[in-house]
Amino acid sequence: MAAADRTTEELAADISAVAQGDRQALKRIFDAEAGRLIAIAERIVRRRDLAEDVVQDAFVAIWQKAHQYSPDRGSARGWLHAIVRNRALNILRDGKREDLMDGDALETLQEADQTEVVMSAWTALDSHQRLRRCLEALEETRRRGILMAYVGGYSHGEIAGRLSLPLGTAKSWIRRGLASLRECMA
Amino acid sequence: MIFDDLEAIADEYVLGLLDPAEQAAVEAEANRNPALQQAIGRAQDRFLPLDMTAAPVPVPPDLWPRIEARLSPAKVNRAEEPPPAANDNRLRFWRRSAFGGLAASLLLAIGLGWSLMRSVEPLVVAVLVNEAGEVQAVVEDFGSERAVVRLLTDVGLPADRTLQVWTLPSKDMGPVSLGLIDGASSTRLDPPSLPRPRDAQLYEITLEPAGGSPTGRPTGPILAKGFAKLPR
Repeated sequence: MAAADRTTEELAADISAVAQGDRQALKRIFDAEAGRLIAIAERIVRRRDLAEDVVQDAFVAIWQKAHQYSPDRGSARGWLHAIVRNRALNILRDGKREDLMDGDALETLQEADQTEVVMSAWTALDSHQRLRRCLEALEETRRRGILMAYVGGYSHGEIAGRLSLPLGTAKSWIRRGLASLRECMA
Repeated sequence: MIFDDLEAIADEYVLGLLDPAEQAAVEAEANRNPALQQAIGRAQDRFLPLDMTAAPVPVPPDLWPRIEARLSPAKVNRAEEPPPAANDNRLRFWRRSAFGGLAASLLLAIGLGWSLMRSVEPLVVAVLVNEAGEVQAVVEDFGSERAVVRLLTDVGLPADRTLQVWTLPSKDMGPVSLGLIDGASSTRLDPPSLPRPRDAQLYEITLEPAGGSPTGRPTGPILAKGFAKLPR
């Protein structure tokens, strides 16, 4: 898959072609990006078939919303990923993931795997990347909370539970963690 | 919701930490507040490197057809609009196939040449193209309950799916199955007894559950379509 070879400029050009009704441009985006987008969605919904549904819905949304993209809204890639992430989060919040979990044992098993998934996303960052260095500078619980939310789609309540913190504490730690991160990355 | 610290709100929005009401409020506000829109864009881009650590996974072959089937049709120039299809939910396909082009006609020529060299000639040959106009298969219909389909592209089929070949002998009859393709490059089909195939008759291949369409009509996404040509 040539995903890494395509620049955000090419992606932006394809998105504006899609806004003009160009299906081939949508197909180009799909061919280059779908594999990674499914993987990103799967980190959140935790099931491959649901992740594929997420990407299917997302591409229909991209077709409909491409005209809304402008560089003011950040990078083309960020915009594209946000559509997938939001769809995945909505499916998650609708409770589909829970419905499909089969009993506590399985959940515990998947929970352990999921922690791996979340932490591996961070350690896979290049050591010279600013995000990596800034996450590294955070106190561990804050870093973990932020990664659980962004990578795994955990809610405040789930994070508080996993980190054995009162909800209010978890919220304020994450909020302060995010503020430190913004400062570090500015 | 108070929009004081836009950067903080944007971060929590992007991380998916807002409750549904707050999330809706942020989206509504972003539509009229460019500063919030930009803050969200910056937050997305800050975390983007984490997404890029996700290793791409294989994409199922039927995912794009499923998406394409749900795309609203683009504006159509009525004059160019082709006749209705067996599955008339995919009108745009016809415009594509009209332009589907040079490759298709070259292939047709090759297909015809090849078929002319054989002792029994098909009554019609149809070159099937996908929505991008790429040639996917050739169907030779010999009539008398005999047809051959030749796949010209690799199709990665999930274990629980099969390819099914259809034709539309007439509008009244509707689409009729010619048979299933087991994934081999050339498959002899045993179609039911049908009227003699005519020029410009529709042929198509759809993705169906293993064992073929449960309804006897195409139910899955269309992978390729084309019109018959009479060998001359």
